[in-house]
Amino acid sequence: MKAADLTVSTGSHWHSGARITDFSYNTLLALVPAIAMGLYHYGISAAGVIGTAVASAMIAEAAMQKLLGKPVTIADGSAAVSGLLLALLLPANTPAYMVVVAAFIGIAIGKQCFGGLGANPLSPALVGWAVLRITKPWVGYLDFDLALINYDLGFSMQYPLAVLKASGASGLHDFNTWNLFLGNQTGGIGASAIVCVLGGGLYMVARGLVRWEIPLCFLLGVFIASSLFRLVDSAAYAGPLFHIVTGNVMIGAFFLSTDNSSAPINRWGMVAFGLFCGMITVVLRVWSVYPDGVVFACLLMSLFVPLLDKLRASPIIVRPATIQITKEARREGASS
Amino acid sequence: MGLRALFGSLPPRIPYSTGNVPVESLALPPRATLLWGGASPGDVGVAVGDTVQTGQNLAREGAGLFMSTVSGTVEEINSFRGADAVDYAVVGINTVEVDSYDSSIKSIEDLDNAPPEQLLATIIRAGFPGFDALVQGATVETLIISALDQEPLTAVSPQVLIERANDVSAGIAMLRRATGAKKVVVAIPHNSAHAADGISVDLAEIVKVRAVYPNGLPEILAKNHGAGQALKTGRNGTVGNTLVVSIEHLVGMVSCLREGRPFVNKIVTCCGKSGGELKNILVRIGTPVSMALDNLDVKLPPGGKLVINGPMHGYSCFSDEQPMTATSDSVLVQEPAEVHRFESTACINCGRCSAVCPEKLEVNLLGRFSEYSIFDKCAELGVENCIECGLCVYVCPAQRPLLHLLAHAKLVLEEETVGK
Ligand code: SF4
Ligand code: SF4
Repeated sequence: MKAADLTVSTGSHWHSGARITDFSYNTLLALVPAIAMGLYHYGISAAGVIGTAVASAMIAEAAMQKLLGKPVTIADGSAAVSGLLLALLLPANTPAYMVVVAAFIGIAIGKQCFGGLGANPLSPALVGWAVLRITKPWVGYLDFDLALINYDLGFSMQYPLAVLKASGASGLHDFNTWNLFLGNQTGGIGASAIVCVLGGGLYMVARGLVRWEIPLCFLLGVFIASSLFRLVDSAAYAGPLFHIVTGNVMIGAFFLSTDNSSAPINRWGMVAFGLFCGMITVVLRVWSVYPDGVVFACLLMSLFVPLLDKLRASPIIVRPATIQITKEARREGASS
Repeated sequence: MGLRALFGSLPPRIPYSTGNVPVESLALPPRATLLWGGASPGDVGVAVGDTVQTGQNLAREGAGLFMSTVSGTVEEINSFRGADAVDYAVVGINTVEVDSYDSSIKSIEDLDNAPPEQLLATIIRAGFPGFDALVQGATVETLIISALDQEPLTAVSPQVLIERANDVSAGIAMLRRATGAKKVVVAIPHNSAHAADGISVDLAEIVKVRAVYPNGLPEILAKNHGAGQALKTGRNGTVGNTLVVSIEHLVGMVSCLREGRPFVNKIVTCCGKSGGELKNILVRIGTPVSMALDNLDVKLPPGGKLVINGPMHGYSCFSDEQPMTATSDSVLVQEPAEVHRFESTACINCGRCSAVCPEKLEVNLLGRFSEYSIFDKCAELGVENCIECGLCVYVCPAQRPLLHLLAHAKLVLEEETVGK
């Protein structure tokens, strides 16, 4: 047969049109309301943190890719998303050098060292954040009560989870769950804008970019664990709704834990992942030295992802051939 | 978007064609090309210059069956390796207008009482594909007659159901006896207006199947409505327990057996471009695809794609001389702009491929293992269960050539076992 000027390939010859950038660009879009609320509350310094984080994450990505001799792919938006998520977890007046360090470490060590997008076992934003959190001299900057001491936004300027840690559930009478839900609380620039984060998260789920299992089970895990604590001692432990509308739970459920490469992809794996993330979050809030435990819970559970992905509804069947026939026997059979 | 995306594991909705597409006959080609899969030129029993009859077995003595679908003079004997890594013997025949028929295919008047062995032997001799496994001695637990097309942009089965409804019952009864199937299921598209009115319920169970890809693929029908696995004969022997026969082949069998004629004409749906109008033509098996395209007035766009058997799991051709075979259901031409470009991007682990895979394979891992030639891991993950439906490729946001990778792994593993 004479070859014509045609393209050949395996199937499928159609494509749904999905792109890698669907994830990153839509995440950026989904986080716009949370960014807006952050800017409204904290003004120009929040913009500074966000800008610094996004820019340094993208520069870090490009620099690492150049260094490793790989094609530069910052246009896919994933580095920008990591930078943005990092910024949204930080207090508005985090010094720029800390933001730069976190973004660089997150991208360089948390992502590029493992091979880049899709190969990172941990979410780069979380790695960056965790490095800041555990660096002794910088602890004060991440303490929201100390960091945001100069702000007065017309609501209680105490970090709700710090109050809980210090004085138990009985100290929480200043906080109204509905107000907390509306984002009237101190905390990370965007993470505290609970209602905006929820809206953005639901948008991601509706677009099929975030699978519903992880956020739902994350929130369920928080609910279950905090209810159990509450059953034990309702004076010391806060109720489930308080836990869900404070700190990083909402952003954790929809945006941090759902990072593609550090989350499972099979349904039961996702369910277990979400539940454990949520429950560990509450356990850390109750028993660890840190007021919030979302980031550490997500990081910890990400390490179990390869294991969790083995949780499958139907096992793989390796089918044996029922009849083994040689080529010759087949020919004879066919001709008889 | 919306509800479907919310339950992300549902496959994307790729509906089958529903419309009435009348069939138009295409003239006999001046030259027909016949393909014989899994054979080499040495297996061919005729020589260049020989005169052959329609229905004549062109295989060398003892080499099996390779039936000519035209009468004429052998002009070329050759070989080629298909995209499926199967070697083909190729015979080119200059046709003559009036067929002379090989006498070894005889009509059977009394379809209801003829012995099953005779029925089966005649069906196979008449050139109907898909019976290799039975020849090997496999037994059929369930026989599925499918009135669904395998692919979108194909309108063969609904048309047969409209035009030949009367022969369906006779065909089912005959094929049931011929194959010894314990159970017969007729699969009808859920939206078919011509639901199996004439088919008696004693004869077969009738199931309505959602007319959405990949529900019409034999493997999926066998899994959902049959005894589990479609019969398949490959290099490593025969597997399966369910025989899936298209309704076009079924009614074709009835005519062939009644008239003692070989199966030589096939309905093929042509589509000038994705989204374009469908056209059904009746072609002689062996007709080059270029003739079908001329009939449609379609010019092959340079750099475009010529796809046979549907946009999802069909194969693309490198030549417009590619002939129609007994299983060619459709021809699709894509403009260069429509051609999907694969990328060598790394997997971002979004999990969509695994979510849509009808065989529940971990495609994200399989793609990576195959990419780095770790084939034993592919075997562990059950890569040979891949039915090559192409859905994983369709949804992958990284545009990875997943099916290419998986098919490669399958082939390597298969060759290893054959070598043992
Ligand atoms: S082509 Fe194979 S791996 Fe991909 S979805 Fe279909 S069966 Fe699954
Ligand atoms: S769909 Fe593509 S990018 Fe997503 S997990 Fe599968 S192979 Fe990876």
